[in-house]
Parts: sequence; structure tokens; C-alpha cells
Amino acid sequence: MTPTRITAMALFALSGCATIQLPQEKLESSSASVRGAEEMGAANVPSARLHLELAKDEIASARKLAADGNERATVVLARGEADAELAMGLAREIAVHAEAEQAAIELRAVEARGTP
Amino acid sequence: MFNRSSLIAALTFALTGCATTASTQLVEARQLYATSSTGLAAKLAPTELYDAKKVLDKADAEFVDKGDTALSRDYAYIATRKVQLADVKARTAQDRERIAEAAKAGIVVRDNQATANRAALNSTRDMLTTERRDNQASTNELRATNSAQAQALVKSADQLEAERTGRLEAEKKLAGAMKDLASIAAVKEEARGVVITLSGSVLFVSGQFTLLNTAMSKLDSVAEALKLEETGKRFVVEGHTDSAGTVAGNEVLSLNRANSVRNYLVQKGVEASRISAVGLGATRPVALNTTAENRANNRRVEIVIQPAATVTER
Repeated sequence: MTPTRITAMALFALSGCATIQLPQEKLESSSASVRGAEEMGAANVPSARLHLELAKDEIASARKLAADGNERATVVLARGEADAELAMGLAREIAVHAEAEQAAIELRAVEARGTP
Repeated sequence: MFNRSSLIAALTFALTGCATTASTQLVEARQLYATSSTGLAAKLAPTELYDAKKVLDKADAEFVDKGDTALSRDYAYIATRKVQLADVKARTAQDRERIAEAAKAGIVVRDNQATANRAALNSTRDMLTTERRDNQASTNELRATNSAQAQALVKSADQLEAERTGRLEAEKKLAGAMKDLASIAAVKEEARGVVITLSGSVLFVSGQFTLLNTAMSKLDSVAEALKLEETGKRFVVEGHTDSAGTVAGNEVLSLNRANSVRNYLVQKGVEASRISAVGLGATRPVALNTTAENRANNRRVEIVIQPAATVTER
């Protein structure tokens, strides 16, 4: 075995054990988006629930990939954050839409009251 | 809508003879972005759409450089989610606009209703004020009328009391005068009225009609009594003689004597319009002219106080 081959094998062994450090900021923002979606009631909105689950899976997957030293971890975390934000947006949309419908009903009621 | 890098990617594929086909994720992301960039999101969620575009560009660049890699598909996936989020936020923004417009419209409607209510209340208040003023005026008028009526009643009562007192006083005086009169003349009540009889010998010298001085004091009492009688009553002075002499002579004498008495009474204050004189001669004797005493009784003057009703009937 030549010194070059030994060096290469040593480097390979070292690199096989290395982990990827996910950006702390991205981890926090994706976790915050998940919490936000849950607080908005995403679990009770079918379309939002799907993306909430996907987000959780993707964030967990990103952590695992990072632990395994897989470079794809960062982009999978970004996928999770995108799904979490979409889940939160869908849940908020439902709430705001209901509020808009209620406002329209109340306006009609006020108009129906008429003037003396 | 494709940007320059997307166009480059598409041209590259065309030039390379489509050596590599874009992934389903990338195609879907491109289509979704193309649709959203011309829809509501472009107007109401441009920032989110721009974020999506940046990721889509990365996916295209990765695809152009290295073909259909996992990273290209991951970027396409993220781009798709970001486009969907832009659409969701656009719809949410639209709903928020609806809420704001409804609130604004509600304020306008409520303002209009409040204005109308205020106008109605003001109108009602004005009406009530006018009504209250009218009522006050009516009340004041009624009070004034009541006060006037009450004063009139008090006055009437006072007047009635004064009249009653006056009448009682007059009746008292009259009773006193009649009593005095009874001591100097015969007073009796007949159907034709109260008759005061004065003897002719007390009043006149025989055959004459000039009043004696002694007669005058007696007639003063008569005058006082007559003046106290009610206003409506009238008096008739009747002259009577005995049957001695001629009928014509007796009539003239009796009339002259009646006039003498009447004139004296008028002179003493009895109203001339209430008193008249007649000469009846010897036509109404009170006794037969057979004795001197009877003839003396027939020579007399009678003053008849006629009842007020009798006078009215005439």
C-alpha cells in the first residue's frame, strides 16, 4: 500500500464519520413555523394538516440527514420550513375567511335594520 | 412567466436535444408560478411570489447545470410551496380587504342610522316642546279663566251678600216706617195692595185742598215709607169725599186733594213716575153717609201701594 493510498483511506474514514451542522437560524425558524401552524389550528384544517405533517417529517428527516453527514440536510430543512409556512398560511386563511364571511353577515344585518 | 434563467434553461434543453427531461416537480413549479404571477398573488402577495421565483430560479439553474438532480427537485418542491403560500396569502389579504370594507360600510350605515335617529329624536323633541308650550299656554289660559271666574264668584258672592244685607236693611227700615205710619194712619192689606188711609180732616180744611201744616209731618212719614218700597212698585193716591155736595164738585175736590198729597210726596223724594193721583168723589164710601162720623170716615185720602206684579201685568 502506497502512502498516497493510506492517506486517502484515512481521509475517507474521517469524512464518513463527519456530521452536518444545520444552520441554527433555519432550525429555529422552521420550528417556529410548525408551532405557529399548530397554534393557528392547522391540525383541524385538512389541507393545512397535510403540510403540517410533511413539515414535521421533513424537519426530522433533515436532522437525521445532518447527523448522517448528508449534505442534502439543509435543503430538506428548507422543504420542511416551506411546508410549515404553507400550513400556517392555510390555517390562517380559513380563520380570516370565516371572519370575512361573518363581517358580511353582520353588515347585511346592520343594513337590514334600516333607518327609522 | 419565465425569467431569463428559466428561458436559458429551456433553450439549453432545446439545443442539447432534450438530453435530460425536467422533473415533474420542476414542471409543476414552473406552471404554478406562471399561473400565479398573472393572478391575485402578483397584486396582493408580490413579496412571497418573488421569494418563490428566486427558489424556482435555483431549481432551473441546478437543472441546467446538472440535470434532474435531487437538489433540483428539492428546489422545485420548495418553489411550489412558496407559490402556493403566495396564493394563500393573496386570498387572505383579499379577505382582510373584505373585512375592512365591511367594517367601513358598517360605520357608514351606522352613521347614517345614527344621523336619522338623531333627526327623528330632534323632531320628536321639537314636537314635544311645541306640545308642552301649547299645553302651558292652555294651562295658563285656564288658570287665568279660573282665576277670573273665582274672582267673579267672590265678587258675585260679595255683591249678593251686600244686596242681601241691603235688602234686609231696607226691609227693616220699611218695617220701621210702616210701624211709624200705623201710628198716624190706618194701614191694611187688600187685594189691590197695601192701603194707607189718611183722614181728610187731618189733611185738609173742609171743602179745600191745601194741606194743613199738621198734615205735612204725617205725609213726611208716608214719603219715607214709600221711598223704601221696592223699585218696581207703583203708588196711587186716591181722593175720596162724602156724598154731600154735587158729584162733579166732589170729583174735582177729591182729585185736587189727591194731587196735593201726590205733589207733596214727590217734593219729599218719591219718584214722580211711580206715583199717580185720581179723584174718586163719593163713589167708594167706606160707610153709609147717614151719620156725621160715617161721613168723616168717607172723607179720606188712600195711598195704594200696588204689588210689583200687578204693575207689570198692566
